[in-house]
Amino acid sequence: MEGFEPKIVGFLCNWCTYAGADLAGTSRLQYPPNMRPIRVMCSGAVDSVYILRALLEGADGVFIGGCHPGDCHYVSGNYKARRRMVLFNSIMKSLGLDEGRVLLRWISAAEGRRFAETVTEMTESLRQKGPSPFKALWEV
Amino acid sequence: MKGILKVTDKNPEATIRNLCRQWLSEKSPSARPQAQRLAALLVPAVGRNGVFTRVLVSDPNRLAEVTPLLPVMSGNGAAIVAEIARGPATDTKVGLFLRPCELRAVVELVKLRQIVLDNVVLIGIDCPGTYKAAGFSTIVPYRHSSIQARDPDFNNNFVRNQKDYLTNEELRVACQLCEFPKPLVFDLAIGFLGMEVDQELWLEAATDKGKALLEGIELEAGEEPAKRRQALAELVEGRKARAEKQIRELDKVIMGPEKLVRYFANCLNCHNCMKVCPVCYCRECFFESEVFQRDLAEHVRLSRHKGLTRMPSETLLFHLTRMNHMMTSCVACGICEDSCPVAIGLTTLFKKVSRNAQAEFGYLAGRSLEEPLPLTTFREEEFRSLGEE
Repeated sequence: MEGFEPKIVGFLCNWCTYAGADLAGTSRLQYPPNMRPIRVMCSGAVDSVYILRALLEGADGVFIGGCHPGDCHYVSGNYKARRRMVLFNSIMKSLGLDEGRVLLRWISAAEGRRFAETVTEMTESLRQKGPSPFKALWEV
Repeated sequence: MKGILKVTDKNPEATIRNLCRQWLSEKSPSARPQAQRLAALLVPAVGRNGVFTRVLVSDPNRLAEVTPLLPVMSGNGAAIVAEIARGPATDTKVGLFLRPCELRAVVELVKLRQIVLDNVVLIGIDCPGTYKAAGFSTIVPYRHSSIQARDPDFNNNFVRNQKDYLTNEELRVACQLCEFPKPLVFDLAIGFLGMEVDQELWLEAATDKGKALLEGIELEAGEEPAKRRQALAELVEGRKARAEKQIRELDKVIMGPEKLVRYFANCLNCHNCMKVCPVCYCRECFFESEVFQRDLAEHVRLSRHKGLTRMPSETLLFHLTRMNHMMTSCVACGICEDSCPVAIGLTTLFKKVSRNAQAEFGYLAGRSLEEPLPLTTFREEEFRSLGEE
């Protein structure tokens, strides 16, 4: 696992987490470059197919960032994302798959530091876990 | 309104046919108003050439050909209901004979806005298990002495010999694990489990539509007999124990990425499991949309991720996504497995995954028309730790 650098696919909500990531950048906060951000309009728009596709294609982790509960630009998208995450985790557990490779976190536009810390923390945790087992499985 | 219906001539199936005759006839003995009469009934039937299916019967003189107690499942009937029960209320009312798992799927489809119940009456019937339609006429005869072809009373014997239900391993896998032998949501329910079926059947109307069907029918009103409740409880306990055992066996071969990939190894990507699934309701599946029509350059790009890609690609993605989309409404009817050309054991897998998923939300697919679908609702004060840490 020497020299292993995890690849994280990040789905960032346009209104909060993406702006939070922007703030981390403009504030010149240092954090690992392991996340590939994808801007989405709402955490509630992240269908499980996107998470699964990234994981099965070999991403080591998937991050979903949304507005704090009560702050959703579309009122309830993040609450629905939260329920979908509960379902996703339950299915992963039932199949013996590591749900710890997927993280949902609320990060507001003002929380640049929280964004940088989240990426750091997630990268570190995935370094410990090692590469996604699906990387070596072309049979998926 | 509930009570015991006397069985005539020791023939429970003929007694149910007789009910059908009253519902279909122009003038029933009670001369009830035209509006309460059913224009047609969806009932299982056996063709003379050995076709086991369902028919929409409208002519009371053809009722001899229907077999309401036929223990064969050719598909989940909820899918048929979704095709025919869509329009606004009219005077044409159709009665639907459905098994408990089919009724549960109907409930889910109503909540998914795929079924409108205005023109239909749900007639639930006990179901201790079914055979697959495919092979019923050929396999069963060799192993059972009583068969449809040789034994014209097969259906009645099936409901008479209630001791066999827990041990009959020729029943569909889903049925052997089923915890719902009795309808949960219905207008009218017909019960035979735990009853002396040559003497009596159990009838229960849960709605006005159901009560209307019982008008003019002589019932010995009362509570559900204790022996019936006990028989149901024993059957459910036996089935639960079997399900637990099957899930333990399943866990040995599915848990973890390596095993899971192997479990789905032979998938042909035919999508039959999705097409026959009663609750997979999308008119066009995302997986059959243009998103998955890629040109050569795109396939090559994908191949470069791992150096080689399986073709057809993304079979496991299909199954995992389907689970994420459908598991909260899955009724574990197992019709997906029946349709799989490479015999992937989907029934027990979906049973396990759906049960765990629904438990997260305190939900049970098909239990109630009022309970909102888990993914269409939320409470602010729930799952608080998610997203925070």
